[in-house]
Amino acid sequence: MKLIVNGEAYEAKRHESVSALLEEMGIGGRPVVVALNDEVIPSSSRSACGLREGDRVELFRLVGGG
Amino acid sequence: MERQDKAQDAWVVGGHRFSSRLLMGTGKFQDAETMVRAVLASGAQIVTVALRRVGRIPREDDMLGPLGELKGITLMPNTSGARNASEAIRAARLGRELCGSPFVKVEIHPNPHHLMPDPIETFEAARILAAEGFVVMPYMPADPVLAKRLEDVGCASLMPLGSAIGSGRGLATVEMLRLILRDARIPVIVDAGLRSPSEAAAALEMGCDAVLVNSAVAAAGDPVAMAAAFAQAVKAGRDAHRAGLMPQGGGTALATSPLTAFLSEEGQ
Repeated sequence: MKLIVNGEAYEAKRHESVSALLEEMGIGGRPVVVALNDEVIPSSSRSACGLREGDRVELFRLVGGG
Repeated sequence: MERQDKAQDAWVVGGHRFSSRLLMGTGKFQDAETMVRAVLASGAQIVTVALRRVGRIPREDDMLGPLGELKGITLMPNTSGARNASEAIRAARLGRELCGSPFVKVEIHPNPHHLMPDPIETFEAARILAAEGFVVMPYMPADPVLAKRLEDVGCASLMPLGSAIGSGRGLATVEMLRLILRDARIPVIVDAGLRSPSEAAAALEMGCDAVLVNSAVAAAGDPVAMAAAFAQAVKAGRDAHRAGLMPQGGGTALATSPLTAFLSEEGQ
């Protein structure tokens, strides 16, 4: 499935859910927040949240800042 | 509860009570260990963090893992990177999900040269986020009119700058801060530009509720020691404010010792 992940084209082999996509990317257990088409996906909803062709996925983490 | 607050000199922001009046940023530290040790030495209970996109290759440098494990720390994501209200609102929602905290530092500075906060975008973002239930802490120019507008739309505090981020120019906005303090009914937290603990003490002495420092600690020779120094200074400034500074004279001297002839008997 063709997705746009963090602004770049990405061919997802696992796309049945946001959780599956994160696992494929190797970010399964990491503290990240997911936005799907500009909507914040609560972590509790990830495994139930499906993906469609062309979906825009953005992943964010916390870093140091003032 | 209020009497206990006064006894402990706690302050309340967005319905949350804190005893420390020193807030810490986590940027610019050499390494995670120093950052965590500095945060601990500072006694800070509110600690800012930022959001960044995850790279394609997950990085192992998890600066903030250790921070999340510290007890008694409220993480406050900032919206730095946002150029307008819309981006800041999006960052706030992402930050809330990631931190599990309703606190957000609205930080919108589109010009990298001076990093001055955009008052219009900040107001707009604050208005919307406050309505969504965030504890909105707006990083703002030290403008007393803007301060009232932000208070009116539901901000939990005001965070006027002392001087430009990272500049170490101290309390350049002191006169504006006095005007803000005069009318503010929510906590006033000086944020940005502080360099020395004495500046933090001065801010608390004049009546500010707290200060936020980052560069002053992270870029110090010994960040952990500097963090501890700031903690002491904030406490001294606050204690002085509560003790009531002596009246300031009009320029002439007011003797503290009796003005009689030196060591003479009384009357002679």
